[in-house]
Amino acid sequence: MAKKIKGPQVLTANLLSDGMVVFLGSDGTWRASIDAADMARTEDGAAALEARAAVFVRTNHVVDPYLIAVDDTGSGFVPVAFRERRRIAGPSVQPFFNTQPNGRLAFAG
Amino acid sequence: MYRYDEFDTTFVRQRVDQFRDQVNRRVSGDLTEEQFRPLRLMNGLYLQLHAYMLRVAIPYGTLNARQMRQLAFIADEYDKGYGHFTTRQNIQFNWPKLPDVPDILEHLADVEMHAIQTSGNCIRNVTADQWAGATADEFEDPRPYAELMRQWSSLHPEFSFLPRKFKIAVTGAAADRAAIAYHDIGLRLKRNAAGETGFEVMVGGGMGRTPMLGATVRDWLQKEELLAYLEAIMRVYNLHGRRDNKYKARIKILVHELGAEEFTRQVEDEYARIDAPRIMPPPQELTRIKTYFAPPAYEELADQSPELARRMNENTDFAQWVDRNVVAHKQAGYAIVNISLKPVGGVPGDASAAQMRAVADLAEDKSLDEIRVTHEQNLVLPHVRKADLYEVWQSLKAHDLADANIGLATDIIACPGLDYCALATARSIPISQDISRRLGDITRQRDVGDLKIKISGCINACGHHHAGHIGILGLEKRGEEYYQITLGGSGDENASIGEIIGPGFSSETVTDAVETIVDTYVGLRQDGETFLDAYRRVGPDPFKEAVYATH
Repeated sequence: MAKKIKGPQVLTANLLSDGMVVFLGSDGTWRASIDAADMARTEDGAAALEARAAVFVRTNHVVDPYLIAVDDTGSGFVPVAFRERRRIAGPSVQPFFNTQPNGRLAFAG
Repeated sequence: MYRYDEFDTTFVRQRVDQFRDQVNRRVSGDLTEEQFRPLRLMNGLYLQLHAYMLRVAIPYGTLNARQMRQLAFIADEYDKGYGHFTTRQNIQFNWPKLPDVPDILEHLADVEMHAIQTSGNCIRNVTADQWAGATADEFEDPRPYAELMRQWSSLHPEFSFLPRKFKIAVTGAAADRAAIAYHDIGLRLKRNAAGETGFEVMVGGGMGRTPMLGATVRDWLQKEELLAYLEAIMRVYNLHGRRDNKYKARIKILVHELGAEEFTRQVEDEYARIDAPRIMPPPQELTRIKTYFAPPAYEELADQSPELARRMNENTDFAQWVDRNVVAHKQAGYAIVNISLKPVGGVPGDASAAQMRAVADLAEDKSLDEIRVTHEQNLVLPHVRKADLYEVWQSLKAHDLADANIGLATDIIACPGLDYCALATARSIPISQDISRRLGDITRQRDVGDLKIKISGCINACGHHHAGHIGILGLEKRGEEYYQITLGGSGDENASIGEIIGPGFSSETVTDAVETIVDTYVGLRQDGETFLDAYRRVGPDPFKEAVYATH
């Protein structure tokens, strides 16, 4: 049975190779930008995202995938949880270390 | 300092080879993440918010120039050109790539370093007084015992899967600079009426969500009994420590639930039962270890340096640096130099590769090839000739390492917090930077005097906020960071746990609150009274009134 969700969801993980924060895109690739993520509004859709991510776990491309709730602003997604907002922003104290340039292809699958 | 023998070298090299194979198997898919996670953690490799983090052990905070240069090389070659010195006297690299980690460990092994037991439910890096072997107020150098414990606890089969992580600190001086009361086991070398030195053994201190100060279970322990007695403590803990609830698994909870008296009785019973002579090292082994910590080749010098006096008269900045950052050495003509890693507005504990190399050069040229890392996230050159202090200061200045703020308001401990850490609930570094900028004027800092501000980004308290004169704990509430303030904590020989003063503050107002607390202290202090003395005299009320009236 699909797990209950609250609001729109996207699926995030870290790349196995360097730990980079990535999001599962609608084209089946892993994206550095959350705005390029595939979004699910239903429980079945969220379950489908998890199923797709599990393939990449088995092929050792990403680790620890999980769903996060987002607000859909129309022009992109903003995580609901503060922790996730910080996670995608990179270290605020050293912004030049930010590893999340918009739309960058992280892994092509 | 200690040098690896053949056993140490072989053991560390084998461990590198083993981890290289484990990484290869993970990348190829032979190991799942669930299988690999405990293996990487045993080698100090975490997966944090944005990247992997490698925590490298610096046993009792002691390094030589060659090792520091190797850390600089790793920072440049495999990270982003910097490293972060931690409250366990270790260093963390925040951006290594998984396939590179075996090579990094190989480079560490080349200089007799590793990352073993910097994570996991085992005995972690033993910490010690950063001025050990140099300070004038020491009964005995604690480092040989720290090294003995390092060897004893490394891959100890009985203590590799404890209920929870386990931290030991040791000091040999009357003044406690190692925060021993806040450790699972705290050891203090002291002298009895007959002039002999032995250990006071404290157990059950700790920070985290349940802060506690250790209880003395043995007021006097013969030094040769150390390992056997520690083994008795560990066995009682290993047997009775809780494994069903990680929040109640530390030894402090066991000591608290049993009561110190009953816990001590069980330890003494166990100690009477075990085969102590089998555990205690042969005397020649301790003698062998002690030879590595023999005093370095000091020159015979007059204690006073006319050169130093002249320079201090000529240069106020230098004089202020000497006043705050330089302390007495036991050897005539020498001094201990504390290097601040807390520039105003900087990231506490961070050092660039260039700064690491500069410190390495100074250690080699001016400090008999020794460097120490402090649990307050600074560095130390332990053996500097007084006549060389001006030259050392100039070199430090050239590398932005000459802030004269040791022990002052901007010498802040801050954990990595939610800028890096996967466990954090709030950011701590930006708060420390904001407070540092607000209180950074050196004249004001010197007027305020000794003040320890410590900031943690979650309840796990890696930023030691419980021991802060002003402690700050970052939490999250309804999607926003907020910060709880505690007052009156201390990690020294008169240790105390800070008390929460009331509701928390937003990230925008917490610096104002800290400034109000500092100004309140300045307004009510008596002659020569430090912040902590004043707080202990008047209690929290004047501070609460000031803070909550204005915020």
